[in-house]
Amino acid sequence: MKRRFFGKGLLLVLVSLLMVGVLAGTSLADEKVIKIGTLFPLTGSCALAGQRCRAAVDTAVEVVNNAHPELQVPLAAQEGIMGGYKIVLIHADHQGKPDVAKSEAERLFDQEKVWAVIGSYNSAATKPASFVAELKKQIFMCGCSSSGALTERNFKYFFRMAPTDKTESLEFVEFIEWINETKNADIKTVGLIYENTEFGKHAAEEGRKAAEAAGFKVVADVAYNPGATNLNSEVQTLKAADPGAVFGACLGGDYTLWVRTMKQMDWLPKVSLNYCTGYQDPIIAGQLGEDANYFMGGTGYAPEFAGLMPAVAAVEEIYKSKTDPSVPFDSDSIQEAVALFILAQAIDKAGSLDPTVVAETLYANEWESPLSMGGKVAFAPGGQNIKAMSMLTQLQGGEYKRVYPADLADTEPVVPMVPWSKR
Amino acid sequence: MGLFFQVALDGLFNGLLYAVVAAGLSLIWGVMDVINFAHGEFLMIAMYLSYWLGFIWKIDPLVSSLAGGLFVFLVGALTYKLIISHTIGKSAMSALLATFGLSMLLKNICLNRFSPNFRLLQETALGGKTFNVGGIIVPLPQLVIGIVALALLYVVYHLVKKTRLGWAIQATAMDKEAAELMGIDTEKIYLLVFGLGGACVGIAGGLLPSYLAVHPEVGGLFSLIAFVCVAMGGFGSIPGALLASLLIGLVEAFAGFYIAPVFKYVAVFGLYLVVVMVRPRGLFGW
Repeated sequence: MKRRFFGKGLLLVLVSLLMVGVLAGTSLADEKVIKIGTLFPLTGSCALAGQRCRAAVDTAVEVVNNAHPELQVPLAAQEGIMGGYKIVLIHADHQGKPDVAKSEAERLFDQEKVWAVIGSYNSAATKPASFVAELKKQIFMCGCSSSGALTERNFKYFFRMAPTDKTESLEFVEFIEWINETKNADIKTVGLIYENTEFGKHAAEEGRKAAEAAGFKVVADVAYNPGATNLNSEVQTLKAADPGAVFGACLGGDYTLWVRTMKQMDWLPKVSLNYCTGYQDPIIAGQLGEDANYFMGGTGYAPEFAGLMPAVAAVEEIYKSKTDPSVPFDSDSIQEAVALFILAQAIDKAGSLDPTVVAETLYANEWESPLSMGGKVAFAPGGQNIKAMSMLTQLQGGEYKRVYPADLADTEPVVPMVPWSKR
Repeated sequence: MGLFFQVALDGLFNGLLYAVVAAGLSLIWGVMDVINFAHGEFLMIAMYLSYWLGFIWKIDPLVSSLAGGLFVFLVGALTYKLIISHTIGKSAMSALLATFGLSMLLKNICLNRFSPNFRLLQETALGGKTFNVGGIIVPLPQLVIGIVALALLYVVYHLVKKTRLGWAIQATAMDKEAAELMGIDTEKIYLLVFGLGGACVGIAGGLLPSYLAVHPEVGGLFSLIAFVCVAMGGFGSIPGALLASLLIGLVEAFAGFYIAPVFKYVAVFGLYLVVVMVRPRGLFGW
């Protein structure tokens, strides 16, 4: 009796589950949804940056899916795209590891059935993940990974918003030439310090090329393993070579360790120019306090740029509600929001969910992007945004001051950096 | 020549830090045959404790390190009571996997509670302070950690070798059943050993925020290097762990400066492989 009752109960549960599955499937199929994957380092040593990038994409989706007529960004006034399609994000974590990035990209496409992926912050992770997308002829939108190699692969479905290390390296060298001329900085040598990853190695390679092409001698080339317990020998090597300028590619906690080790060893170059690294992270800059001052770097966005990019402030309020109310967009996270906005515009304009058609549309048009410095986005073959711009900032009194190009500057750069003993 | 001594000094300081982290691990392994995979996370939670005490109540890491030692002693003892005690007498793999799970748990709790933010203490008694001896820069935080490490290692060594408690620990390590027959409460010994191992790493972790950023991943490389120190020094040997740690610190510094910084860990792990091949039981192992 008991067994028959149990059997019937089990059958009932199974039928119910089947019905729920069918109904859920029907409702999903009826809903006009575009699933997009995000792939960032949500744990691991770059988790802080990864979580902010994810929040930036969440922000862009919030704006695209709902009517926000108060915002001065494309698609904000309407609800959804392509006649009411809503974007649904599926988040994934690559932990800063290339192998995990590859398998997570495969999972996003094969199991989650996402239509495109946005990511992946670390160039080393973006490389394999975007390769997966290219093989599957699916779109991969890259916000801030800066390794130039990513857009030198002639991929057809890969698009990157941020300027590359190459662009930044040329800008660094231009700046040194400018301060040599105008401020008698007398810088003749360059040192490189970088994490031994896809991003760091490529940044250093571009830095070396740009410096040598302009006649500067590279006197120190210091690679280190990310997440190191100390950077003593790295800083000793720099100090022994004593370059006039240092190009740095140190992310997250390594950046703070590098700065503090330089302080301990009482050494600074005349100028320290940083790629897309810990320098641009306002939280890290805040944690370093006074020690962060006078370092410089390429910056795509900082709250101090509000005058140049007036549309950002209102979007930033939504972003803050998704992260920490005290943390604004930074150069990296804002690029991920741009990636989503551009993709949504392209889908809307193409009027199709065929990835090839959308990719062709992305190439064929110039896109409005009030969240980008310069306000436009357009792609060259290979997927690099040829309108990408950044400017050089210097931390002074804890604020990112615009110092170069001179016509956009709001402050004079402090060159050479103020020695530790005089701070 | 000054540069040579500067590099050597940096290497010695690194080595002493590794030694105090490795000492606790060595003690736990030597007595209990348990590899504590959560050792790096014990370091991390002590760093967080020190950071928050400094951030909220402005307590300096010099003082917080004692709280770190005490807190991680309790965490260690609790870990033994709640997790490790259930794996004693079972395959070594079960304790290893249990501590691996614990390491993930602790890391993710910190990630969830404190976010992945890098947290740095400013205005500490030692932070950024250095003095100059004949052209060689001596960083005060590392010097203090080095002195504390030596003192702590001496205390632990003395405790194990020269006290009745230490003899009981040694007896338990040699033969648990025989020790029990002699009236030693081995359960209490295990609890104490796990706590002591935690206290060592807790004191080191408490001092580190003087110059190192705190974040959920900070324990990873420390624990890897500590494993190498313990294996190289000989499992269970405190002097072995000290010697191996100093060797590793020096090799790391000299290889990093005189070969290339990127090769410093290649040299460290290369040295480890050579020692293990030539003397598989480690420098002071039996």
